[in-house]
Amino acid sequence: MVKKIFAYSYIYLILLLMYVPILVLIAFSFTNSTYIGEWNGFSFQLYINLFQDKEILIALGNTLIIAFISSLVSTLIGTLGAIGAYYSKKRTRTLIENINQIPVVNSEIVIALSLTVMFVFLGNFIFKENIFSFWTLLIGHVVLSVPFVYLNVKPKLTQMDPSLYEAALDLGCAPSQALRKILIPQITPGIVSGFLISITLSLDDFIVTAFTRGPGLLSGEGNIETLSTLIQAKIKKGPIPVNMRPLTTIIFLVVLVAAILVTVVKNQSKKKVKVRKGRAA
Amino acid sequence: MEDKNYIIDLKNVSKIFDGVTVVDNFNLYVKKGEFITFLGPSGCGKSTTLRMIAGFEFPSKGEILLKGKDITNAPPNKRPINMVFQRYALFPHLDVYDNIAFGLRLKKIPIELLDEEGKPVLKVNKEKVKQLKADIRHTKWNKALTQEEKETKINELNSKLEEVLANPEPAYKYRKLSNQEIDKKVARALKIVDLEALEDRDISTLSGGQQQRVAIARAIVNEPEILLLDEPLGALDLKMRKDMQLELKEMHEKLGITFIYVTHDQEEALTMSDTIVVMKDGVIQQIGTPKSIYDEPKNAFVADFIGESNIFNATMIDKLKVRFLNTNFDCLDDYPINEKVDVVVRPEDVIITEPNKGQLNGIIQNRIFKGVNYEYTIIINKNELMIKDTHEYALNKEVGLIIDKDAIHIMKKDFVTNIYTDAYISKNNKVMIDESPFECDLTQLLAGSSIDEDGYLVSKDKKKKYDLADADVVAEIDINDVEIVDDINADEVEAVGEIVDLVYKGDHYQLIVRTDSEEDFVCVTPYTYNLNDKVGIKVNKDKIRLRLKKDINEYEA
Repeated sequence: MVKKIFAYSYIYLILLLMYVPILVLIAFSFTNSTYIGEWNGFSFQLYINLFQDKEILIALGNTLIIAFISSLVSTLIGTLGAIGAYYSKKRTRTLIENINQIPVVNSEIVIALSLTVMFVFLGNFIFKENIFSFWTLLIGHVVLSVPFVYLNVKPKLTQMDPSLYEAALDLGCAPSQALRKILIPQITPGIVSGFLISITLSLDDFIVTAFTRGPGLLSGEGNIETLSTLIQAKIKKGPIPVNMRPLTTIIFLVVLVAAILVTVVKNQSKKKVKVRKGRAA
Repeated sequence: MEDKNYIIDLKNVSKIFDGVTVVDNFNLYVKKGEFITFLGPSGCGKSTTLRMIAGFEFPSKGEILLKGKDITNAPPNKRPINMVFQRYALFPHLDVYDNIAFGLRLKKIPIELLDEEGKPVLKVNKEKVKQLKADIRHTKWNKALTQEEKETKINELNSKLEEVLANPEPAYKYRKLSNQEIDKKVARALKIVDLEALEDRDISTLSGGQQQRVAIARAIVNEPEILLLDEPLGALDLKMRKDMQLELKEMHEKLGITFIYVTHDQEEALTMSDTIVVMKDGVIQQIGTPKSIYDEPKNAFVADFIGESNIFNATMIDKLKVRFLNTNFDCLDDYPINEKVDVVVRPEDVIITEPNKGQLNGIIQNRIFKGVNYEYTIIINKNELMIKDTHEYALNKEVGLIIDKDAIHIMKKDFVTNIYTDAYISKNNKVMIDESPFECDLTQLLAGSSIDEDGYLVSKDKKKKYDLADADVVAEIDINDVEIVDDINADEVEAVGEIVDLVYKGDHYQLIVRTDSEEDFVCVTPYTYNLNDKVGIKVNKDKIRLRLKKDINEYEA
């Protein structure tokens, strides 16, 4: 009994430590005080301010656009890479796997710095102009997330019966059809989780963004601001901008709802009525 | 022209993986509607051959013809051949119905293109052009061919290509099968495999046997010319396997298409096939009906692999007379007198009788009840003979034995002598067989010669000296002279290897010891060893027969 109480209190303690900061933030998003700890009474003022704060809205828009596009690109590259490596000879596969492993364990600053050096070099010697833009930022984010997509897709491939692809060819598929109709459906869960991880990595990212961004997107002529670079710029000058509190709350709630939805959908048993098109009723 | 009765024709087909020959010069005709089985131990190349017919592997050499048409390098989706995979390979995200309909939904039926006047439209056949170009590419990159072979083949293909480009053919457009047509065919296939009730089920909810049926239905619904089956019953339990064997056989009769079946289970092969192809190490050992393979195996391997058998060393002592187990027997096979042969006697063909009433006597050493009959081990002198008989006899009792001449099958002996053609003499006058030094007697190379203290061979009259270091020789060792040593670290051991093959021959085993560098030593031993045992080999120096490749005078010092 005592052991059980200890075990449970341990878990709750950890959960408390994890969630208290977020809960405090959420609580203080409903008051208009400048400093956290000061309660000026309940109000939605910060939420109203948030939706009038152009700076934050632009940064949010940039962040979402980059996250979405870079995740799509890295999911495509990572998935095709994983499939290609899986069907390669053992030596090639091991080589690709090891090369893929390096960016995962490497510190982000190294990736960011080396990308910057490369872009500066290309800009100076090949393009003869400054090439920092949305595209360099996109490349930076793709480089960051491709290895994680690969790592998510690979186990699904190894779990798959290797003769499925051959069976598809045998039944008349051209290789591209076999890929589309058989292989991709088998590894879809891996592709989806790879995509989601890419989104998270890109949304969060500061270092690579700060190094590889240039002018473009919603920021127009100025350097692209994402949420992380914007906050960094703000706190250099003063306290955390108050409008970040309602924004964080909204992001937290969106993620929470999404997580609950995913769980519900997963647990729902498939009860479809099957319709056979060719059958006379 | 090709005989139209042959549906598939493999000509000199070889497959080489990374320098290892997996299938070696495979030649086979299969008649339409035949049930043919590739039988052999694992790693004998049977599955590779099947995969070449299916199109998953391409032969390194040789060609495959389907109804006289070359399909050697055609991809699997362009062959009217379907396969049932070992672990079924059903698509888990589709239900039973969709799995079976998969191939039909991809199928396209040609309709002839007609112009306004109703005459066929003529166009260059793009498919053929594409195929020929692919063939040329394959030939260019084929490492197994020499430059000359490549050039002749490429020229041949190029002239074919020009011919196709110059002769437009009636063109076709293609349509997919309608949903009604698909439904009809799927329903028929489901009926054949007895799964009508399960069409909506997910694959994961089916038992092994049911999955097996879905896999068969998925293949036969496409109405292939040939159905390939790669050990399809391997994953089922014994009872299920027996039932499926009969069902497959029935299905084969009903459908009338050619079945090519791969298995390592000899009983399965004997029960189901019209023709059996026995393979070993990528080489066909024997092709024949189940009966001919069982009754008249071509060599000791086939006899040992197919059914239970007693195999003995024997000698032909007269016309149609053979001697083994210290007894002379009449026989039906005609071999030259004094030839050493192998004799096969099937356990059920030996008749047990009163002592001294048969051709020879033996003592019953062991008896096992097998349900239908008893299995006896009889000791005759030092030889063992296995007999199956329905009567019960007491243990340790002396009995007489009759082996009728019909029951004796004589086979040409595989090996009598080990011959090593690339041996050479080392600096210290040993013979190097496969990088292992063996003590030998060099004086046999020159009558009356001797070896002096410096290691030179000296002629009888002491006038000539020969330095034989690095001389190329052919070494021969009788299989009886190769001795096996259990302790591979012992001083006397001259080479070390692994046992890769063993056949029991009444009172001894004939086994093949393969060294690390892939040289084989065939030897005989009365003791029991297991496959893959590491053993040492030694040979008495007087038992190695040497022959110089060049004239001895070339080595004069």
